[in-house]
Amino acid sequence: MENKNLSKNLYLRQFNESNAIAYSEAFVSNTSDYNFQLLDNAYRNAGKIYAKLKIAVETNKCSSEHCSVELTQLKQLEEAPKVSLDFLSSLIAELSVTDEANFDLNNDYRYTVANSLMNGKPGYSKTDGYSAYLDLLPDGSQQIVFVGPAFPIPLIINSAALNSLVTSDTSLIASTPDINAEMLRLLTEVGVFAADAVNENGELKSGAKITEEFVVMNADGSVDYEIIDIGNGKGRNVLKYDMDKIEKKVTPFINAEVAGLMSSEQDAIAAWNVYISKGTSVEEDAQMAQDANAGSSSWSYEEDLPLQQDKKVLFETKYKEYFMNNYLKQFTTNQFPTVKEDAAVFDLEEAKKAQAQKFLKDNDLN
Amino acid sequence: MTPEVIGGFGQIVGSVFSGLSARKARREAEKEKKRLTKKLNRLEANRQEIINPYEGIQDLSSMISNPFANLSVATGAAEIQIEQADISLANTLDTMRATGASAGGATALAQAALQSKKGVAASIESQEKANEDKRAQGQQFMERRAVAEAERLQNADVSGREFVYSEQEKREQQQLDRTASLIGMAEAARAQATADQTSAISGGIGNLGTFAGSAFGKPKK
Repeated sequence: MENKNLSKNLYLRQFNESNAIAYSEAFVSNTSDYNFQLLDNAYRNAGKIYAKLKIAVETNKCSSEHCSVELTQLKQLEEAPKVSLDFLSSLIAELSVTDEANFDLNNDYRYTVANSLMNGKPGYSKTDGYSAYLDLLPDGSQQIVFVGPAFPIPLIINSAALNSLVTSDTSLIASTPDINAEMLRLLTEVGVFAADAVNENGELKSGAKITEEFVVMNADGSVDYEIIDIGNGKGRNVLKYDMDKIEKKVTPFINAEVAGLMSSEQDAIAAWNVYISKGTSVEEDAQMAQDANAGSSSWSYEEDLPLQQDKKVLFETKYKEYFMNNYLKQFTTNQFPTVKEDAAVFDLEEAKKAQAQKFLKDNDLN
Repeated sequence: MTPEVIGGFGQIVGSVFSGLSARKARREAEKEKKRLTKKLNRLEANRQEIINPYEGIQDLSSMISNPFANLSVATGAAEIQIEQADISLANTLDTMRATGASAGGATALAQAALQSKKGVAASIESQEKANEDKRAQGQQFMERRAVAEAERLQNADVSGREFVYSEQEKREQQQLDRTASLIGMAEAARAQATADQTSAISGGIGNLGTFAGSAFGKPKK
């Protein structure tokens, strides 16, 4: 089944980033009208209504008993500008998520269009067939309505509904967590690096190494190196790590991180769709290739929330894999010994002979 | 966002934007606090259980045995002595009979033979006893060493567990402290952002007074 949000958001993003509009004859040769004038239009008749209500109350010619309805409407009108300001501010903040570099394209594409319209981006003007209205509703709430070619039906957002969402720590559009920052911080927290490997900003120092506690040792207490072929008949020792021990150590900390992430399940879905599902790195995602995201294995905001237990477990598993493969692996691969003599380049053939001799000696086979 | 899109006075559009960054900062701080609180809860829930380092200690008394309990009484030597004395006596008597010796001489010979065998038996018994004592001493030494070794291993095990526990505890505590401190920082950021947002909105309200007054046909000064 086609993922409409994914394909439309991808198109919109590519369109906005491609500069293609600069080569549109129709766009360049005409003026574009972005005068949506939301507030002006919303309050155009407000003055008259306010005046009528005020006169009715002051002359005691109200239609309701004790002017209760008129007084309520007056109060609503007096408070309306603040509501408008708060609503627009909140709406713009929510819509701005669609401009984030790691925005999950599985979000409702109509918000991407609404953001483009609100920001007066080329291609979303009145001239292009778009329009937006701010309406003051009888119950004191307000609504904004977006219409235009990209909206099969008008997109309506109510101020009270938006406020309610925001108050309950829910977003209109899911923001993708900064996985790279999370993972780098997590590296310092999982307990495999010494405390002095972390700088004052809480970041790993360059050259940080996993502590010796996790290095594989021989029975006699010496380090059990792995020999790697570096070409031209030469070899080097590299450290071997006890990956089971490392995994056992880091797992509780990773699980705690996931629990924190799950405090906003919509953000967790965004992280899943953009990074975790396919294990794509931040660099890969930056390429904005459609197949670098979850694609067909995406989770849907509309259908998969609240997240079922099996999905939470899957998320935790894949999150750990992501951490181990994209962040921790570099510290367990091709790590040279700290002992200078052991770190030297050597002749591979001689090393193999020496190893064979040692084996014969250790096993009393000479 | 362009002023044309919103409409109204430029100052109002400006206040929408100044409130915007504070609003976003507040939302992010709230989110961060919530995330860290969940993380802290999980960390606390998964803290290692307090171990009893002496739990694995075993009663070693079963390893102690009396090495002398199985010492054999040197009865074998006594039996040999009797048997050999009997054989010797029988042989002597046969000789006496064959040579026609007197009964008194036979008795004397028999007693001499008996004395001789008694000496041999005593020597064997003494050797057996000495060997047995040595075995017992060896056994005692081995058992003492075994108990000492077992004690050493157990002490090492206890110390090791104590070390692992304290190290783990130390790291977990560091992590808990750090997360709790971050929650405090997120709360401070949220409070600051809320104050900024309130300030921006208040500024906007002043402008809106003018705007609303204009819209409602009663400009305010």
